[in-house]
Amino acid sequence: MKKILFGILIIGLAASCTKVNENVYDKYGANQFYSTPAGANDALANVYAKITGSWGSNYAGRDNCWYDLNSFSADDQVIPHRNTGDWQLDFAQLYTRTELPSLGIINNTWNWAYSTIYSANQAIQLLTDAKASADKIAEAKVMRAWVYYLLIDDFGDVPFYTNNNTDVSKIPQKKRADIYAFIVSELTANVDLLSETRGGAYYGRFNKWAGYMVLAKVYLNAQVYTGTAHWAEALAATNKVASGGFALHSGANNTSSPNGNQYFELFGDVLPNDETILAIYLTENVISGNIYGIRGLDGPNGTALIGYNGWNGTVIPETFYNKFDASDIRRKQFLVGPQKGGITYSPTVSSLISPGAAPDEGIRDVKFFPAGITDGSGSSNDFPVYRYADVLLMQAELNIRLGNAAAAAPFLNQVRERAGLGDIALPTLDNVYDERGFELIYEGHRRQDMIRFGKYLLPHDVVPASPEYMLLYPLPTSALNANTTLKQNPGYPN
Amino acid sequence: MKKVYLFKYGLTVLFLICAISVFAQTSVFKGKVVDETNQPLPGATVKIKGSTQATVTDGQGKFSFPANGQSAIVVQVNFIGYDLSERTITAGESPSIQLVPNQKSLSEVVVVGYGTAKKTDLTGSVSNLLGKDLNPGPVTNPLQQLAGKAAGVNVTQVGSEPGVPPSVRIRGITSLQGGNDPLVVVDGIQGNMDLLNQVPPNEIASVDVLKDASATAIYGSRGAPGVIIVTTKRNSAGKTTVEYTENTSLDVIANKLKIMSASQWSAQAAAQGVDISANHGSNTNWFNLLTQNGVTQNHSLAFGGGSNDFNYRASISAIDQTGIVIKSKYKKYIGRIVATQKAIDNRLTLTMNLNSGIEQTTYSPTGIGSVAFQSNLISQAYVARPTDPVYDVDGSYYRDPNVFQYTNPYAVSQTVKNDDNFNNLFGSLKADLDVYKGITVGWFGSWRKRDEDSGFYLPALSTVQTAIDNNGIGNIWNRHTDEKLMDISISYKHDFGKNHVDATGVYEWQAQTYNGAFTQGRGFVNDIASYNALQLGDVSKVVQGDIQSYKNDRRLVSFLGRVNYSYDNKYLLTASFRRDGSTVFGVNNKWGNFPSASLAWRLDQEDFLKGSTTISTLKLRGGYGVTGNQQGIGPQNSIALVGQAGTVFFGGTTIPNYAVTQNSNPNLKWETKKETSLGLDFGLFGDKLTGTIEAYSANTDNLLFNYTVPLEGPFLTTNILANVGSLQGRGLELSLAYRVIQTNKMSLTLAGNGSLMQSKVTKLGGNIDGYDIPTNYVGLGGGGNGYLVVGKPIGTFLILHHLGKDANNAETVVDEDKNGQIDQGSQSKDRIDAGQELPKYTYAFTPTFTFGNFDASMVWRGQGGNKIYNGVQQKFSLLENLGKSNLLQSAVPLGIASSQYSSDLWLQSGSFLRFENLSFGYRINVPSVKFISSLRISLTAQNLAIITKYKGIDPEVDVSGDGGSGQDYGVYPRTRTFSAGLNVVLK
Repeated sequence: MKKILFGILIIGLAASCTKVNENVYDKYGANQFYSTPAGANDALANVYAKITGSWGSNYAGRDNCWYDLNSFSADDQVIPHRNTGDWQLDFAQLYTRTELPSLGIINNTWNWAYSTIYSANQAIQLLTDAKASADKIAEAKVMRAWVYYLLIDDFGDVPFYTNNNTDVSKIPQKKRADIYAFIVSELTANVDLLSETRGGAYYGRFNKWAGYMVLAKVYLNAQVYTGTAHWAEALAATNKVASGGFALHSGANNTSSPNGNQYFELFGDVLPNDETILAIYLTENVISGNIYGIRGLDGPNGTALIGYNGWNGTVIPETFYNKFDASDIRRKQFLVGPQKGGITYSPTVSSLISPGAAPDEGIRDVKFFPAGITDGSGSSNDFPVYRYADVLLMQAELNIRLGNAAAAAPFLNQVRERAGLGDIALPTLDNVYDERGFELIYEGHRRQDMIRFGKYLLPHDVVPASPEYMLLYPLPTSALNANTTLKQNPGYPN
Repeated sequence: MKKVYLFKYGLTVLFLICAISVFAQTSVFKGKVVDETNQPLPGATVKIKGSTQATVTDGQGKFSFPANGQSAIVVQVNFIGYDLSERTITAGESPSIQLVPNQKSLSEVVVVGYGTAKKTDLTGSVSNLLGKDLNPGPVTNPLQQLAGKAAGVNVTQVGSEPGVPPSVRIRGITSLQGGNDPLVVVDGIQGNMDLLNQVPPNEIASVDVLKDASATAIYGSRGAPGVIIVTTKRNSAGKTTVEYTENTSLDVIANKLKIMSASQWSAQAAAQGVDISANHGSNTNWFNLLTQNGVTQNHSLAFGGGSNDFNYRASISAIDQTGIVIKSKYKKYIGRIVATQKAIDNRLTLTMNLNSGIEQTTYSPTGIGSVAFQSNLISQAYVARPTDPVYDVDGSYYRDPNVFQYTNPYAVSQTVKNDDNFNNLFGSLKADLDVYKGITVGWFGSWRKRDEDSGFYLPALSTVQTAIDNNGIGNIWNRHTDEKLMDISISYKHDFGKNHVDATGVYEWQAQTYNGAFTQGRGFVNDIASYNALQLGDVSKVVQGDIQSYKNDRRLVSFLGRVNYSYDNKYLLTASFRRDGSTVFGVNNKWGNFPSASLAWRLDQEDFLKGSTTISTLKLRGGYGVTGNQQGIGPQNSIALVGQAGTVFFGGTTIPNYAVTQNSNPNLKWETKKETSLGLDFGLFGDKLTGTIEAYSANTDNLLFNYTVPLEGPFLTTNILANVGSLQGRGLELSLAYRVIQTNKMSLTLAGNGSLMQSKVTKLGGNIDGYDIPTNYVGLGGGGNGYLVVGKPIGTFLILHHLGKDANNAETVVDEDKNGQIDQGSQSKDRIDAGQELPKYTYAFTPTFTFGNFDASMVWRGQGGNKIYNGVQQKFSLLENLGKSNLLQSAVPLGIASSQYSSDLWLQSGSFLRFENLSFGYRINVPSVKFISSLRISLTAQNLAIITKYKGIDPEVDVSGDGGSGQDYGVYPRTRTFSAGLNVVLK
């Protein structure tokens, strides 16, 4: 009897204790999370989170991604290796055009772009499924088109997909011109659906004006992307942006403004709505951060200016600095000569790689004079993706390109006047090119401008003439390994 | 065998108490048990054959049984270390029964998991170590006792930080992310390596290491990395013990790096043109300032007693260690009680085990310094310039504002709090019932609770940059682990003529629950409350991640069985099968099957060898088994999850952001390791020379790896834990012991072991969810130069080859593919294959010597065939850094100012031979002292010497096969210890 009871006990226990299904206590399952309208909204917000990103994965604000890739290969900034052992060579390699496909910044930019596209695809899918309002779906589509535009700008022919349910590792590159066509059609179909609200709930978001700004940029560079110029369409798009009611922010001296001039409020903690078209909202330690101020300052200078030890990184090439007019208010962003903290920045950088520059060599830039809390990971300055001064300069350029230099003058001169410079009655493309350099330095536009104006391959500073293939970056090694159908851009090793 | 005296006399007098009741009866059958030297043997078990009646010999070795009407009885006498003896006793006779020490070590009993086996009956690969075989000396973790003792069991201790346990790898690396830590079983309770920490080193009776798959398959999906089974000491029935053991050691630094002194630094700084403002004119030896001589103390008091059907053993152990880096310390207290009670005519045996422990550790701070070199405290002592003062003129800790993220290591040591406190509690109950003629049913249940609370406080005074930024950071972690296990078993043992069958079936259920919480505060007005009152911080500074909590659980349900069959004691077969179901596996793969079979042939039992004077023992065995590994799979790893992903500015406000944090993998399952093992146990010349040779070949399939996947199709995030690749591991092991002298007075045994290991990545990429994921050249340690490459060993060094230096004294490397560019990408053709991170061979030499009451032993232990990327040398050899850092003295003759590469200039051989342990003991028999039965004093020195070409502080670096393998970025220094121990057995 005892044995039978024992047997029953064993069988009973065994039967009740063979379930091995999983319990989830502390996480959200993906399916249940995204199946609600709130979840779809979060999917849209997530695309912005991707754009903002953080270290190694961001449009701008922090380092080692899109902004660094597109800035250090231009002529307006560089980080030299220091003879004190500081700074890796990645930045100097980009500047001197000696980068290789395995460079981390290239890989990061590629991954950032595709993960943003993925998130946009996901948001579009989820918002459509949730029958969300048309403006939200359009917003996600415009963001996706924007990232494709950034991709073809840097890499040329790239893999293209709009549905996440695709075997991406097998899809071949799509022609730059074909993706260009998609971007144009996607933008034209969607920008008018976007909200017209500036600031408030749309600060830091793609509204109608930001949408047209992207379209204007795409048309502006159409010749580079497709071989066929679309100057008139570009001008029409800039006019659409201008119809949003933007105006240049004041360039008046003001002791309470950063660098003593209201102009630098355009690069402060929260950007003024009058001129800003699209900003990336950054708050140090909460939403990424902006390192472009702290990255340049030498330690004691940073401590004296903002109470924080600087990184002693970015410098402005002397040749670029020397082009600024002495009366230009924008020169206030540069630090050269004796400084607070008992150091003296000398303008000449003696060596970029080996043995490296001495600690205080190089002109520093505080266009993004650190705002808000500043610590080892930056400060809270928002980043202007697009602003009205850029639109004016585009309008000037396009009028010249369309053969109407006189009509271009007022656009160019608005910008020059704010900077305290005299008017140019009949501006040339070189005038516009230089003015873009002065106005938009440190904002990540320079490489694209250099290419469009045909300057990118010319020798400058210590950089010799570059071969034509360098108009595109190499595809990152990791992408080539993951997708064997991809072809490296000509001129680069695999 | 002389060590037996220790027990013998120790127990003698106390045993009398129990014996009194025996003497009170009218005894008819009596006798005396003596050893080979005619000394009485107290504590021997004497059993009347064919009955359950048993007793234990008293202090004089005497025993007796009451009359029961019989004229004669047959008694069986059993004592550990001696052969079983049988003798007929007639009434009135009082014979002296002399026991014979067992010569064949192979006749010992080995714990094999869910049962025991005689060593001679083993068919799988098991290393068996008794308490007396373990490394003596100041030991804080049982693994330290195993170092060098078993072939194929590689114990690695990186540095000597108090509270940091060594790691162990059995037969090399068989997994990448599945985990390579063996399963630990302590008295039937299964757990991770931390369970070993809960075993007092003095209380270990034996350690059995199951090495091959045919032995570990019984543990199914947890068996692949091997199993360490610890059996703790029990009290022998009817015996009383009171024993105190103590060991105190002085721990000194074994080796220091040669860094520049103040005058050397100043001279070099002047020569290198370092700005004079960097020289602050002091003379500070930061390393000496941060180090001291350490002391380790072990105390343990054990006592036990009982009668024939009840016995217990209780012990309390205390370990107190002060580290050689100032402020680091470790305390451990463990109390345990094991009680056994028999009932129902001795057919039911109940064993209860309770173990409670506390571990308190103050760790030396890690992760400090500038962003360019974050390291532990002691490595920051290499960074600090010798000309920097400790204190500023105002008495505060010195900090140089001209150096980016300057850190004053002394300030860190004095102000940072890094405390950790563990409370461990486990209990188990085991019930075994003899049901009917060889059938036993058993129930075993255990419950283990492990609670950790840790506190960390980094004040602004520490000079650490983030602490200054935040004006102090404090945090606490509370983590709770709850592990339950239940076994229901049935076993059957029977002899049919020459056939012997021994079968066991078990149902097992395990559940583990993990939960915890983290809270962090920032911005403290002062440092008085440190991490004890986080609410005193500045609430406005709280950021995402400062508040966290978690809870998850896992369950494992198993059915397992094993059959041992032997014929005529010559032919042995063991077959086992286990079926495991786990909650952590994907829905498509909830259950896995793990079979094994092994065979052995005892050639020495065959007629043609029976009389051989040369070959005394010879056994050939071979086995095959399938085991699994599921350590690498955590709860909820198979389902798609959304988690918090920072914050986002959206709709004009900052809101939490959510993103997919994990891909779904319904096919997720255990790794499968298939291993074939062949072994030969032999004894020559009357077992004067004994040994084992083993060879194995193992393939791990369904390799768990966190694959990088493109964002496409089913993949919602860029990583997925999946079972795709394969690894291969092969090896050869040899153990030898030669009894050079074996007399009653003196013995000398020369023992040693060696193993060869070879690993290969056979497959990495593959098909996941219908998508082809090519994966290769995945980084794995080695200072960024170690890789997983298909067709090559795990952790292969692919590294740039040093050439020299250019005109600016910048390092140059060889352009291997001669394309004019040095590519530092992972698949760059400029990288050369320069060896591997994991050792190819390990070996040990462990001679022992006894003479009368004196004993001595040594452990020499070595490994080799591996390379180490000496990151410390790389960090402290570039002259351009002199202005902000101290450097190695060797940097001057090297003369390299800068380098953009991490080349093989810093890659060095990791081979070493360490004089690990030298120990002397002397036993003093003190029969004349009133309360003391015996005394033993011992002297032990550890890490006396090392032979190596490695240029870092110590070549014993991480070789665990994880991301930190094969590199040295600064370790807590290793100690050389000198200890004295005392063991007192009370009467």
